[in-house]
Parts: sequence; structure tokens; C-alpha cells
Amino acid sequence: MTVAPEPKGGPPPIEVRGLRKVFRQTTSGQSVVAIDRLDLTIAPREVVAIVGQTGCGKSTFFDLMIGLEAPSEGTLRIGDKSPHADFDHFRGKIATVFQQDRLLPWRSALDNAKLPLELIGLPEDEQRERALAWLNRLGLGQFTNAFPHELSGGMRQRVAIARAFSVQPDIMLADEAFGHLDEVTAAELRDTFLALARESGSTAILITHQLEEAIGVGDRIIVFGKSAKLLADIHVANWPKEQYALLREVIQATLQNNAPDPRLTQA
Amino acid sequence: MASNELREPVPSFAFPRQTLVSLLVFAAGWEVLSYLAPYLGIPPFAIPSLVKIAKSITVITPIDIVVTLARVIGALIASFVIGLTLAMAMYRSKTLDEYLHPMIRILMAVPVVSWILFAVLWFPGVEFRIGFVLVVVCGPVFLIDTIDAMRSVPRELRHMLQSFRPTTWQFFVKLMLPAIVPTIFTSWKVNISLAIRVVTIAELVGAVTGIGHQLSVAQELFSVADVFAWTIVLVALLFLLEGVVARVEARLLRWRP
Repeated sequence: MTVAPEPKGGPPPIEVRGLRKVFRQTTSGQSVVAIDRLDLTIAPREVVAIVGQTGCGKSTFFDLMIGLEAPSEGTLRIGDKSPHADFDHFRGKIATVFQQDRLLPWRSALDNAKLPLELIGLPEDEQRERALAWLNRLGLGQFTNAFPHELSGGMRQRVAIARAFSVQPDIMLADEAFGHLDEVTAAELRDTFLALARESGSTAILITHQLEEAIGVGDRIIVFGKSAKLLADIHVANWPKEQYALLREVIQATLQNNAPDPRLTQA
Repeated sequence: MASNELREPVPSFAFPRQTLVSLLVFAAGWEVLSYLAPYLGIPPFAIPSLVKIAKSITVITPIDIVVTLARVIGALIASFVIGLTLAMAMYRSKTLDEYLHPMIRILMAVPVVSWILFAVLWFPGVEFRIGFVLVVVCGPVFLIDTIDAMRSVPRELRHMLQSFRPTTWQFFVKLMLPAIVPTIFTSWKVNISLAIRVVTIAELVGAVTGIGHQLSVAQELFSVADVFAWTIVLVALLFLLEGVVARVEARLLRWRP
């Protein structure tokens, strides 16, 4: 069985305006700015890679996108709704693939893939059918009854991808989802993930610290500097494939200097 | 080669040969002592022979076993439901937790005998007294164990589930409760043992049925054989209940590597 994307109106655009997130450290009581005045627009169905060094606020941005954190200032809106303030509105509309698979160890692969479908209250038959279809699609048809500890790291991450896609979300988020896998498995899963995201018409946002992954993945690469300030917003289509090595160098220099590299404007 | 590698794998349900040997040695020692008691200046009733104990076992009244068992199981179920419900509420509400936690700690510090005396002084009905004592002793154990277990559920899993936007009920049913099942079973095992001991004392003090009451009768009759027989029943009950819990645990936790 194949999984045909359900007809839908398409994902809404994502608008970020003056977004600021400040945390207060429990021990010292000091304030830490994780995201500082971020402006960003992501069009429907775009595949965007966000790159940045450790501690630049990528994961905070991810939590704000999911709606688990509220902005300290500014707005983050998906369509006309806020993922935090209108939390329930986005049930079944935003899905996530995390760095670790985060499967529930007491559930089989099938039951893990069904989890978000149970949460949105689909009938049991439909849950099973959809989850099975996605597991088959990801090459796990023979392992639907296996528990997570019986699967390899790559297989577990496939289950996590099936779990995320099973709700056919408007927005798909991946937080360094392939970074912990070996290069071959990671490349294979990344390609599968992208193909599925494009086919299902979701807007996909991938957070990564690997430049090759960002260049190979996105329609756009957004480069975060320290305190999540936007250093560069690169449309990959503007760079011919033979200049990808240069693009990599330019992003690297941007990250190192925490300032946009002059060569970016030449593209 | 390490010595461990040379060892035969231990079967999961190996026949307890050592246990049997130690029990036989104890029984033989007891039997010898019962014959020697008069020569050692010990009153004969104090160390009855195994035959006498066996005779006492044959006249045990099953209704008292059923009554005690029903009191234990009923009170454990009530304690579990109350403990789990309060734990879920305290997990959700920090304010409720801040108010209730000190009270729970105080309840746990009160000796069982005090609870029994309070129950006798406060409540007229025997069943309610025993139920009250069992619930007030076992309930806080369930509560503290479950709330601690809920707080230990990995943040990554909580974060994952929350990202799919569950309702509060779904959050507990899909994640928290399955995640704390191992702790719940440990808590049940601890509480079964506790409940058997508490119910015996409660029945001994203020009931006219049950194993505790029969122990009280045996004491009045100076029948050590009867005390032995009822004690054997209590130990057997404890093992039986623990065995049932272990079977259910093995079934529910079969996902564990």
C-alpha cells in the first residue's frame, strides 16, 4: 500500500517578527538571551535548513516553533495563529523528528508510528492502516511488531520519521535528526525525509550543524549567529552546484566571524 | 577466560534446592528441640512438634483466610487508586504538591499502632477501621513512589509527546502511566508485604474475624502450634500475592530487553 497525501489547502506561511527569547538561569538568576530580534518568513512548502554553531539558539527556535516555549517578545505566527497561544489548534498540523528517535520503549514500531494518530482521535482501523503504510514506505514492513530495542539506530529513526509523517502535517520539523547516524544511513534517511516532505507538500524546517547536510537539503539555508541573530538567508538555487564548495566556505566564514561574509552578496 | 564465562547459565525458575535444604534442617532442628524441650526446662506447649503444627494447619478455617485476603486486596486497590489519582494531581499542580507533600510525609511518619488506636477511637465499624488503617499506611507509599517515578520520566520523552499536543488525559495515559509501570509493580510488592503485616495487627487488636483475630485466639489458648499454623498461612498468602504480581509484571513488561 502506498501513502497518498490527503488533498489540503497547503501549509500556512510562517512569519517571525522581532522574536526574542530570554531565559533566566535557575542557579545564578542571570538572564540569557537565546534569540535576539529575529525576523524571518518561510513560505508554504519551502524546505529550509537552519545552521549555526552550538548555543546559537537553534533548539530554542525549534521549541518556539513547536509551541512548547512562549516568545519573550515579538511574534511567531503560522498563518494567523501562534503555535504557543493556540497550542491545540496545531494538533496534527506540526510534527517533529528529534535528534534521538525518542520512541516509547514499551510500544512496538507500529504502535509508536500510531501514537500521533491516537492523539488526534482517528478511528483505530485508520490509525493502523496509516501507520502500517508509512512503516512499509520506510522499509519497515517486516518489523512492525518489533520493540525499539530490537531495532538498529537507523531503523528506530525510520520509525520516528514514520511517526512524524503519519499525521500528514503542514509543518515538519527535524532537529539534527540525522546527526547521530553513520554517514551512509544519515544520507539515505535525509533523502527519504526530503522526498516525503516534498511529496506530502509540508513545509520542512531542518535544524543542523552540518553544512553538507544544509547545502544538500534546503531550498534555503538560514544561518544563525550567536544569540540567534540572522546572519544570512541563502537561496540555494542562486548557487550553481559547482559552487557548492565555495558556498560551504562562505557559510563557514560567516559562522566563524559571526557576521555575514561579503561573498554572500556576490551570489 | 573469566570464571563467569565458565558458569552454566542459571535457569530463570531454578528449583530452590538450597531453600529446601535449609527448611528441612530448620524443621529437623525444631523437631529435635520439641522432644528435648522438657529436659531443657522449656514448657512443652512452647515448642510444639511438627505433627501438632500440621494438625493445626488441617483445622484452619478458610473463611478467615478469605476475609483477611479480601481486606488486603480491597485496601490495596483503594490505596493504589487514591495514591495514583493524588500523584497525577500533584504532578500537574505545583501548588497542590507544595501543600500536600509535607502532609504525606507526616502521615508516613506516624506509627502503625497509632493509626490502629486512632481508628478504634474514631470509627465504630470494624471493617472501616481496618480499611482506614490499611489505606492510610499503604496509600502514601503508592503516592510517593508514583509521583517520584513520574518526575523521573525522561524529559526527551515528555518533550516528544508534548510536541504532538496531547490532552492532559492523553499525556498521562499514553506516556506517564506506561512509563511508571515498573515502579508501580515495585510499589505493589512493597505494599503487599506491608499490608499483610498491618492487617494482622489491626485484626489482632480490633476484629472478630480474619487471621489476626485467629492469632489472638491462639495466644489466649497458649497454642503455639496454632500461631505457627496461621503464621505459615500468612507467609504463604504473601508469596501467593507476590507471585500473582510477578506474573502480571512479567506479562506487562515483556517489552523490556
